[in-house]
Parts: sequence; C-alpha cells; structure tokens
Amino acid sequence: MQNFDIVVIGSGPGGYVAAIRSAQLGFKTAIIEKEALGGVCLNVGCIPSKAMITATHLLHKAQHDFKTMGLNIKGGIDVDMKTLVSWKQSVCDKMSGGVNQLLKGNSVTVIKGTADFKTTQELTVKSSTGTDTVKAKYFIIATGSRPIEIPGFAFDEKDICSSTGALAFDTIPKRVVTIGGGYIGLEISSYLRKLGTEVTVVEANTSLLSGVVDPECAQVVARKAEKAGIQFKFGAKAKGQKKTKDGYEVTVEINGKDEVIKTDKILVTVGRRPNGDQANIKGVGIQTDDRGFIKVDAQRRTNISHIFAIGDICGQPMLAHKASHEGVMVAEIISGINRVYDAKTVPAVVFTDPEIASAGMTEAECKAKGYNDLMISKFPFAANGRAVSMSETDGFVKMIADKKTHILLGVHIVGPEASNLISEAALAIEMGARLEDVALTIHPHPTLGETMMEAAEATLGHAIHIIQKPLGGAHKTATVTK
Amino acid sequence: MTDIKLPELGEGVTEGELVKWLVKPGDTVKADQTVAEIMTDKATVEVPTPVAGTVKELLFKPGQIIKVESVIVKLESGAAATASATTTTAHKPSTPVAATQSTATVDVKLPELGEGVTEGELVKWTVNIGDTVKADQTVAEIMTDKATVEVPTPVAGVVKEFKFKKGDVIKVESVILTLSGSASTAAQPQAHTNGHAAKSTTSAAPTLMMASTTATTAAGIFPPVADSKVLATPATRRLAREMGVDINGLPGSGLAGRVTREDVLSAKGGSASVTKGTGTGAVSAGTPTMNFPKPAYNSTNAALEERVDLVGIRKKIAQNMQMSKAVIPHFTLMDEVDVTQLVAIRDSVKDFAEKNGTKITYLPIVMKALIATIKEFPMFNASIDDANSQIVYKKYFNIGFAADTPNGLVVPVIKNADQKTILEISKEILDLSKRARDGKLKPDEMKGSTITITNIGSVGGMYATPIINHPEVAILGMYKIQDKPVIKDGQLAAIKVMNYTITADHRLIDGAVAANFLKSFFAKIQNPGVLMMGLT
Repeated sequence: MQNFDIVVIGSGPGGYVAAIRSAQLGFKTAIIEKEALGGVCLNVGCIPSKAMITATHLLHKAQHDFKTMGLNIKGGIDVDMKTLVSWKQSVCDKMSGGVNQLLKGNSVTVIKGTADFKTTQELTVKSSTGTDTVKAKYFIIATGSRPIEIPGFAFDEKDICSSTGALAFDTIPKRVVTIGGGYIGLEISSYLRKLGTEVTVVEANTSLLSGVVDPECAQVVARKAEKAGIQFKFGAKAKGQKKTKDGYEVTVEINGKDEVIKTDKILVTVGRRPNGDQANIKGVGIQTDDRGFIKVDAQRRTNISHIFAIGDICGQPMLAHKASHEGVMVAEIISGINRVYDAKTVPAVVFTDPEIASAGMTEAECKAKGYNDLMISKFPFAANGRAVSMSETDGFVKMIADKKTHILLGVHIVGPEASNLISEAALAIEMGARLEDVALTIHPHPTLGETMMEAAEATLGHAIHIIQKPLGGAHKTATVTK
Repeated sequence: MTDIKLPELGEGVTEGELVKWLVKPGDTVKADQTVAEIMTDKATVEVPTPVAGTVKELLFKPGQIIKVESVIVKLESGAAATASATTTTAHKPSTPVAATQSTATVDVKLPELGEGVTEGELVKWTVNIGDTVKADQTVAEIMTDKATVEVPTPVAGVVKEFKFKKGDVIKVESVILTLSGSASTAAQPQAHTNGHAAKSTTSAAPTLMMASTTATTAAGIFPPVADSKVLATPATRRLAREMGVDINGLPGSGLAGRVTREDVLSAKGGSASVTKGTGTGAVSAGTPTMNFPKPAYNSTNAALEERVDLVGIRKKIAQNMQMSKAVIPHFTLMDEVDVTQLVAIRDSVKDFAEKNGTKITYLPIVMKALIATIKEFPMFNASIDDANSQIVYKKYFNIGFAADTPNGLVVPVIKNADQKTILEISKEILDLSKRARDGKLKPDEMKGSTITITNIGSVGGMYATPIINHPEVAILGMYKIQDKPVIKDGQLAAIKVMNYTITADHRLIDGAVAANFLKSFFAKIQNPGVLMMGLT
C-alpha cells in the first residue's frame, strides 16, 4: 500500500506535465505508466513521426532540389531503413529518458504497471512484479486514446497496422493502402511515398482533412500529394481485405461499386478513440459520454470531485499541447488556485508536405459564431524571399478578421514551417490582437515570419509584396467602434 | 462483496468511537456517501464509502471504539458489479437498477426571488445534512437586497449536501443543495433506466450511474468561464479569475471593448469578499463594486470577546453605508420649525383616521410636504451616474422611510407617493413597518426609492447627521416635537417646534440651495394651508 496526495494515471504529455507541476506545488505525487514514459506522443506518435518526416524530407530535397542548385550526388542516395528506424528510436528514447529525469528531479514516484480503480480512493496497479494498491487524495486520469479499429481490419501491427505499426516498419514497403485521409494517415503516407512506396489513400469523404482544416489549405496539400504520386480514392469505404500469395487485396466501395486494391501493407488511420473503457473508470462511477470521453467541467473535474481527467480522454481536440495545458491547470486547481480552461484557441498542426497549421476559427466557424462581416485575405509563400530561397513556395498564410473591429479571428497557414509560424497567430488571437497589431510589428527579414505581417497587410488591403488595389483614402487607420 | 474499512481519520489518529450509523443493512449507498459518524479525540468525522453498493452488514455498534483500517461495513458492490458485467445487467436489471435508484439525488435550485433579483446571500440553512424534509419545507434563508426570503424545497427527501455556505452570494437557478430522492422522485427515472439497460448493453453502466451522481458543470465554477468573444489577454483573464471577477459582465474600457488589467482591478472590490478561493457558484454582489481596505481586528482579550459572522442584513448595511460615505460628499443643514398648526391639524383628523381604519402620524404629512418641495428643487430627486458622468433627474416620487427592525435598518418605499392620499400613505406605512419588523418585506418593497426620510425623532435626539441612501442624493431627518416658549408679538407664547435636517450630496446640491430647500419645506410644514394649495 502506497499513499500519495496526487496520483496521475498515464505519462503522456498531459500526465507527466501534471505530475511535474503537482510536485512543484509541493504535493507527494506519483505517476503510473504501463508502457513507456511519455505515452503515445513521445513513443509512437508525434515525435517518431516527426523524425521520419524530417529524414524523408531531406531525402526528397536531395532527390529533387539539389540538382537545380548544382548539388550533384553521384550514384543516388541509398536509404538504410534499419539505421533510419533505429535513429528514430533513439530520438524517442532520448525524449522518454528526459521525461524520466524530469520526474525524478521533481521527486515524482514513477510506478510501472497497469492501473485500475478499485474504489474512488484507491487503485490497484498490476505489474510484472505483482499487484500493489495505491491510494491518493486526488487522481488525475490522463490515459489518452488509441487508434480506432474497423471491422475486418484487426491490427496485427505487422501487415495491418495502426500508426504504431507503420512507424516501426523496418523495411520500405512496396505498396501501402492507407484507410482514412486524416492527418495521421496523410503524414505517414507522405513520408512513405518519399521513401518510394506506392501509396493509395482511401477516404470516405470527398476531400482530404475535411472538416479538420481550412479547405483551401487542404487543397494545396492534396495537389502536392497527387503530384508526388499518392493515389486518392475519395468517397470510398473500406469493406474488407483478403490475404493473397503476394500481399493483400483491399476491397473498397466507391459509388456503390466494389474496387479491389492490391497492396503489401494496410494502414488504418480512421481516428482515435478515448480509453474511457479502461482502468475501471466507469466501474467506480466516473461518468463518460457515449463516445467514451470522461465527462468533465471547465476545470477538468469529473463527477467525482477529487478525480480529474485531462487530455484525449476528456474530449476534443485530441492534441498533446491541449493535454499539457490542462495538466498544469489541474495541478494548480488541486492546490487551491482558481483556474479554468478558457483558452480561445488550441492551435493545430499537420505535418504534411507542405505543413498545415491553424489557430482560431475557420470562415465557417466565424459565421456560426455570428461574425457576419469578415475580412479575409491570403499572402502566398511564393512572394516571400526566404521561401523562394528555400525552394519551398507552395502555400499561403490566410487571415480572417472581424470587419468591424479588425480583430483577428483565425489564421490558416499551409506552407513551409507552418507549424513554427502558427504560434505567433495563437498569441495574437489570445491577446485579442487586431490586424494592425500584426502588420505594425516589425518582422525580421528575410524570414518566413514576414508572411504573417504581409498577410495582415493584405487583409487590410495593402500588402507590399503582392499587387493589390490602389489605396485611395483607405490608408488611414480604420476607425474602430468602441 | 466489498469490505469497507475505517479510513485514516487524521494525522496520528489510530481509532475512533462510532457515534452512529447513517445507513442500515439493505440500504443502497453510492460512492462517497457518508455511512457513519466517528468521533475522534477532537472532531466528529463523517466516513464515506469509496464504492457504491448495498449494505449487507454493519460490523460495529454505536459507542464501540474502532481501529483505523478495521472493516466496518460489508457491502454487496452494486455499481462495480453492474459495470464489469454489463451484459448480465441487461438481462436481469431488477436488483442493481432498483438499488441505484433509491439513492437518486434531486438538486434543489434557488428559485426566483423577485422581479429583477438575480442573486441573494445565504443567511443560514434551516435544515441539517441528514434531515428528512417535506415538500415546501423551508431549507434556507436567503437575503436579497434588503429582505430575507425563506426558500422552500419543492420535493421531499433527505438532505445530502449543501452547495454553499453562510455568507455566499448565490445566483438564482443555482443548485443550492441536493436531496437523496424519496421513493416518488426515484420512480420516474427508474422506468427510464430500465428501458436503457434493456436496450443497450454497453451503455447500461453509465446510465445507471447518471441517476445517482450529479454531474458537475461549468455552472458550478466561479467566475464563469470567459466567453470566446471576451476581449482580454490570457493574463487578464487569469487575473480576473483570481480576483473573483466575472470578466463576461465587465465593460471593457479598451479599444473595441477590450477588458484591460485596470478594468479588472477596479471591478474587484465588491465581489472580492465573497469569492475567495475556488468557491462553487458564489457570485459577485450586484451592487456597485468598490475596493475598501479590510483591516483585521487582532484580539488582545479574546476570552472576553465574542465573534459572530458579519452576514445578512448587517453585512448589507455595512456595505451600503461604507459605499455611500465613500462616494458622496455629505453635508447636513439643521433647523427647527414651528409645527403648532401641524400638530393641531393632525390631532383634528385622528378620529377621522381611526374611522377609516388607520392612524395618522406626522410621517405621511411630512412626506407630502417633501414631495411638494422636491418638485420645486428637482436636484433633490436625482442620482449621479458616475460611470457615465451624468445627472439623472427622476420624474417619479418614491419615498423611502428608514425603519428600525430587530435585524437592523431597512428602508421600505412608498411608491409613487405623489399620487396617493395621506390616508393611503398612512395605511401603507403601517403595513410596511409591521412587515419590516417581522422581516417579511419583499425585496421589491425596498427598492427604487428616490429620496428617503429618517424619523429618528420618534426615538430621541435633537439632531443627527444621517447617511444618504446611495444612489439617492438627499435624506430628510425629522426629530422630536417639543414645546418651546417664544416671544410672539411682544408676548410670551408656547409653541410646538420640530427639528429637521436635510443632508445632501454636495456634488449636486450647494449649501445655499439646501437652505432654500429647507425654507420652502418649512413654509409648508409651518402652515399646512400652503401645502394644501399645492395638492393635486
């Protein structure tokens, strides 16, 4: 029997952050993890996929841009998949080890094992060394989500894979069928394509990333992916698969007709589901909704007042950075500080080629919120010196502002380093910045960041590096009704 | 079967005496429900069950000493069983379903308290946790503006949990307490739940639990979460939260309505007193907010002192007076007037009034004279809108009169007194005064006065310097009538005099204006004939 003030279940980006802040606040804290520290994010999600994307992006640059730049590689590039995968693993291990050190440094007790609620006051933790009981005054559930499995495509993580299995491929598959054209499927498909795999993406919707990102941004990615040779089957439903002598046959239904696609590996990325059915969460009376998300209030408190839930398990968006934000918040709430989840935006990034990143609302969301008079404009990366010199000119920065106040409502970027550019937009939106605030901030030259300033200018109607209508008298700052 | 053990009772406490059981064999309990009261060295502790289920056996008797970690209750685990075996639940829902049902809780909300009243302060609970209450039984006393209202429960049940504590300000429609349901209230959800359990095996467990647990919602968090349309930086939003200021209702002084750090700081005052910490549902008082210092009183002789909570009407009076004195530059003008005629007139109508079932005092007559005078001096029937730098002149005449009650000062209001006869006003004063003393005034009956009269003279004192009832700008004081010898036409004569004070807001009313006001008022009091000339 071990006794703590706070026990965190799950050590992903929500859980380990919650544990560290809890310890910083002086609580006797433990964290329970059944697999590797850092959770999905560090081990089989965000980080390993980024390692693969970075490596294959370099490969792609070498194969396509080097020649134009006068860099000739004799005899081509040999991809050593085993080394690539082990390098990727070393990245994960480094990050996971870092989490371990941080937890130790903050005197958080790390318990390896699988936790189940026994009562609302105690957990049983099963591990290879036996079963223990862990008691706490407060619990933070951060047990995350897992890939959704669809009928007929049970994961073996060798041939029929979730993202976890696909990230571990140690040979380059010849053919892959990706079921689900969401961001996870697209990220993996893109880098596999760069390694030479023939990729077919089967998507039930009529477009990529539909409802997830700005439709124009998705178009840029779709166009480039098609150009790179990825096959898309839209409006297609995966019905089943059959093992054959030389791989698999995947049957998809398009417009009522069945079509068979031959492949070696099948990647199923149709989304993730919360792990609300685990850890005996329901058994002790913690309420979940019909999709398995734990019901929480704006302080991430469950229906049982000393139990909190953060991250994927407590609702959309299922993003690591949202989980971390909640982790810090909940630890502070437990310590008696009045906190609440009131972020205006959770920026989202998709590591496709080119990257997509967004903060704030899309045009449709603005309209739904009652903003009827909008200012919307785009600034293309093709008009940015740094982007041209990087030979990465696909994409644009799109800004949406309220016409009455010029207050920034949404920023949607598709293009090089979109993921690194979006933080400025998130800050601007949280601060309630106006287009002028962004436009009048001096952005250093020559950087991709200038596109933010120029997009703000473009939305105001007078960007320098694209041709817009003459200003007339409109150069005076628009009067804003107070 | 689950064993419920006596949990840790506090540092160094190894055992406790069983005071009483709060459950009996056969009872269904939910997780976190109190099952026993245990007395330790100093405190009586409520012991909750960590799991839901049905009580099979109680292993101790009241009076027995129990060691920490001893098994005290044997529980047939209802909830856990239903959850882990959902399919069986679906097939034979009777036992677990019925069991969970009887513990269904009912939320009792704060009902409407009167027109325009959105919140009230909890004066006290009139029931205790564990009490069985009948429908319509009063469970709490809530003070709004100045009246104390009794809040009944609409349903019967056993009081489970109080959501607020004494002194909290509660918004209308907030859940104030939960009752564990009676048989009648549980019956309906039972049918509903049975249907669900039969239909869907996977959702059986959560549906069952829903009946017995109150989901916490955003409504329980104070201040409420900032709407995404609120323009304020994350740091400002956090500051507002820490200060207990609802940023949603805050007018922003910045560009396009941006709420600044300064806006939050200046809004802090009034609400800070009720919102320290992570209060659930406590809200800021609706009255103007100001930031007053809160010096502590450090007792040097605590043994000979008694501390009581500053709550209820007393707290409201304290806040109002402090605010009025801080905002309004007061000045008071005092004088006496010959009321010989007035006394004669009043005596002459005594019988008439009695026949009409009332009693004429001087107050309604003074009220009429006051109205006639403020019609000539409209700045006395006005307010200052400080937020917008405007003077608000009122074309209606609602006269408040200060009434002393056992609970403290209240100010009932004669609405549209200019349109009522002296007889009507008399009756109304008698009625309002009586109900004020009994604490039965409705909030609406103490709102909207445009000027106030204080009649401290009925108790004693030559003169006083009253405090204006903010947002009014003047208060008339009337004092004792006394016999006084005067030289009249060279002769010594006995007249009756009465002292008056007019206290005014110097921002709006200058001393000379107040002197002229009093002069005009005295003309009417001294010679009621003059007053009659002006009557409509």
